[in-house]
Amino acid sequence: MSKKRWSCDPPPLKIGDLVAPVPIVQGGMGVGISLAGLASAVARAGAIGVISAALVGVYEGEAFFLKNPTEANIKGIKRQITLAKEKAPGGIIGVNVMVALTDFEPLCRAACEAGADILFCGAGLPLNLPALRPEGSPTKLAPIVSSARAAELIAKRWWQKYGYLPDAVVVEGPKAGGHLGFKPEKLETPETQLEIITPQVIEAMKRYEDIAGRPIPVIPAGGIYTGKDIYFYLHKIGAAGVQMATRFVATHECDASLAFKEAYIKASQRDLKIIKSPVGLPGRVIKGKFIEEVEQGKKKPYKCMYHCLKTCNYRQSPYCIAAALINAQKGRLEGGFVFAGANAWRVEKIVSVQELIDELMEEYCQAKKEDTNS
Amino acid sequence: MSVEEKVIEIIVEKLNVPREKVKPEAAFIDDLGADSLDLVELVMAMEEAFDVEVSDEEAEKLRTVKDVIDYIKVRVGEA
Repeated sequence: MSKKRWSCDPPPLKIGDLVAPVPIVQGGMGVGISLAGLASAVARAGAIGVISAALVGVYEGEAFFLKNPTEANIKGIKRQITLAKEKAPGGIIGVNVMVALTDFEPLCRAACEAGADILFCGAGLPLNLPALRPEGSPTKLAPIVSSARAAELIAKRWWQKYGYLPDAVVVEGPKAGGHLGFKPEKLETPETQLEIITPQVIEAMKRYEDIAGRPIPVIPAGGIYTGKDIYFYLHKIGAAGVQMATRFVATHECDASLAFKEAYIKASQRDLKIIKSPVGLPGRVIKGKFIEEVEQGKKKPYKCMYHCLKTCNYRQSPYCIAAALINAQKGRLEGGFVFAGANAWRVEKIVSVQELIDELMEEYCQAKKEDTNS
Repeated sequence: MSVEEKVIEIIVEKLNVPREKVKPEAAFIDDLGADSLDLVELVMAMEEAFDVEVSDEEAEKLRTVKDVIDYIKVRVGEA
C-alpha cells in the first residue's frame, strides 16, 4: 500500500515479527464461515485473516469426512491455509482452533506444518498448546480468554512447563457471537463487560511481559463494531488491536452462503438470543424456526456421526450442533441456526472486505481527529 | 504432615472452602463450587507441593478429593 488510503495512519498491530498495517484480527468463525476466501481477503487488506478449523474436513467431501473425520480435518486445514497464503501473498493468516474440538491437537500440529502465522485457541484452556507446535516452527500462539484469571493461568502454566509465553492474548467479552466463555447469568453483569475485563488482562500480562522481555499484545473482542470503537479500545483502554467477526460476515468474500449473510441483514435487535448449546456453553444466535422447534421440544436425539467436540453431550442433546451449523453455512436455515455477535442487527448491507476496512479505518481517523481537537 | 492432610490443606486454601466440607467423597465442581480454572490452579498447586507432574488427561480424571489423595499417594510412593 504505497498510496495513502486513509486520512490518518492507524497504528499497526505487531505480534512478534508479524506486522499487520490494519490493527484488526478477523475472528475465526465456524463452521465454514471463515475459510480461505474470507481470511485471504482480510489479509490482503492488511489485517489478520483467520480460518476456522472447526469441522473444516467437511469441505473435503462429506463421504471422506464421515469415513475418516480426523484425516479429513487435517487435509482440510492444510488446504485452506495453503489456499489463503496463495491468495494473499505476504498477508498474515491465522487459524482458530477450539480447544473443545476432539481433533484439537492434530489440527494445531497440522496448522503449524502448513505455515499458519498464528494460532488462536479458545473454548477451553489451551494449556498444552506450546507442546503441539513442531520444533522450529515460527507459528505464533495466542490464547483466547474471557478473564484476566484465565490469561494469567495459561501464562503461568506455559512458562512453568514449556518456558514459553503467549505471543498475544485475545480477550473475548460477553457481546461476542457463537459460544461464550461466561455463565449465562454473567453475560449482562457490569464486571464481565469488555471495557472492564480488557484492562485487567493487560495488567495481568504486564508481569509476564517483563519475564518474556517482549510485549504481549492484548486484543479485545466482542461487540466492537465501528472505527470509533476501535479508537476507544486502542487509545483509551490500551489494546494493541481488536478482533472483529460479525462485520466480516456481511462481506462478499465471507465463505458462508448468501442466505446466512442475509440473516444478519434481516435481523432486528430482538432476534438475537442466547441459547444453551449442547457443548455446555451459552451461545449467541439469530433466532429462527429451528431454535423455536428445539425450544418447543420438537427435536429428538439423533445418532452422533462423529464425536467432534470433547464437551458435547451428544446422548442427550436434541440436535447435532455440527449439522445445524453446517446447514446454516450452506444456506439451509430450516435445518440449523446462525451464530452472531450482539451487534449483528446493526448490519445493513453486504460490502467487500476492502470497503469494510476502509470504512472502519476512516471512522477511526475521524474519532482520532475529534479526540485530539476536543 | 501426611499426604492426605497436605492435600486437604491445599484444597481449603485454593478453593476457599471450609475444612469440614472437604470430605473424601466431595466433588470439586458439584460439592465445592469449583470452576474449570480452579481445577487447573489446584492441579498446579499439587504439582508444586508434591513435586510431581500431572498430565492434562490425568488431571481430567481427578473429580473428587479422594481421587486427588489416591493419585498423589501413588505418585509419591505411599500407596
